[in-house]
Amino acid sequence: MAGGFVTGLANVTTDGEPERVARARRGEVAAFESLYREHVGRVYGLCLRMTGQAATAEDLTQDTFVSAWRSLPGYEGRSSFSTWLHRIAVNAVLASRRGPRGRLETSLTNEEGEDMELTAEDAMDEATPIDLERAIGSLPAGARDIVVLYGIYGYSHEEAAGMLGVAVGTCKAQLHRARHLLRARMRMEAGT
Amino acid sequence: MTTIPFGPRRDEDALIAKAGELPKDVAPARDLWPGIQARLGEEAGRPAPRAFGWPSALAAGFLVAAVSALLTWGLLREPAPVAGTMADSAAPAQFVPVNYGPNSGIGAAQLAARDELLPEFRQRFARLAPGTQAVVLKNLAVIQQAADEIDAALAADPASGLLNEMLVGTYRQELGLYSRVVTAGDGSPRRT
Repeated sequence: MAGGFVTGLANVTTDGEPERVARARRGEVAAFESLYREHVGRVYGLCLRMTGQAATAEDLTQDTFVSAWRSLPGYEGRSSFSTWLHRIAVNAVLASRRGPRGRLETSLTNEEGEDMELTAEDAMDEATPIDLERAIGSLPAGARDIVVLYGIYGYSHEEAAGMLGVAVGTCKAQLHRARHLLRARMRMEAGT
Repeated sequence: MTTIPFGPRRDEDALIAKAGELPKDVAPARDLWPGIQARLGEEAGRPAPRAFGWPSALAAGFLVAAVSALLTWGLLREPAPVAGTMADSAAPAQFVPVNYGPNSGIGAAQLAARDELLPEFRQRFARLAPGTQAVVLKNLAVIQQAADEIDAALAADPASGLLNEMLVGTYRQELGLYSRVVTAGDGSPRRT
């Protein structure tokens, strides 16, 4: 059985992405595995940076690809496959953050960055030197999300706002806030 | 009007530019494909999800709101409960909490609030008049229908923020239903 998948995978890796997407839409698991192999790093990277928790990011990455498989018949290619996967991943992350009353547990309303959520920072290895990646991980969720989507993955404010379900102005404000917090943390780390 | 200084463009901001240089791909510590493949295998054994679309999901959401009004009316007319009488005189109506589907992302953590409410709700529910119990169950059936249809729509469009919000709204409706029953049965003044 596994050999079948491996053989199938060898057959599809020479195809371009649109062909593999088309095959996966027809139910070819090997084609979908090939897409998974190509995109898992970006999806996992996004989930890890948004959650700061490796185990959670792994679960959400799996959820993302299972959702994508189910939803392939509805994928019309209006956005790139990568962007489409990222939208699913962002929704999975946001859904995982919802508290018992539907509130985003990690969302903050304070523009000064008070009452910050430290889950991501706590999850980091103490021995890891604090760098930009670590500083991003310690940001409150709203600011971190926009730095990850806009700063690291290169989405526009409009695209990031669409993924996060917030207004473009909110994205810009969060980025503004993130810049201040990042600079403060980098300065603190540098001991200045 | 206050103007928020959103700062320099992406390429003019050294910190954001540096974030853009971070690797996009992060490899998970383990191969996540076997877990995904197993879940895809489980999916193959199930009947294909019904192809609900947006109109159906939206209609379900509106129906929840409409039927909830019936419950409020019923509870306001409910006579003050007499300990033991309803439970002793009538067979308990079948009550099952709403089941959220695999696409919903609502898990045990999100259901904690419901778990807290349910014991008291069950006690109050058992003491309601049969007619009011029927209205409660009718509400629950409508909420379950909405949850099913939104879940099915999410299977086709998992990246939809609006569908996710509708699902959270449905969960809130369920919590609200239990709260109203608990509150109505706590001896608070009621309209006669």
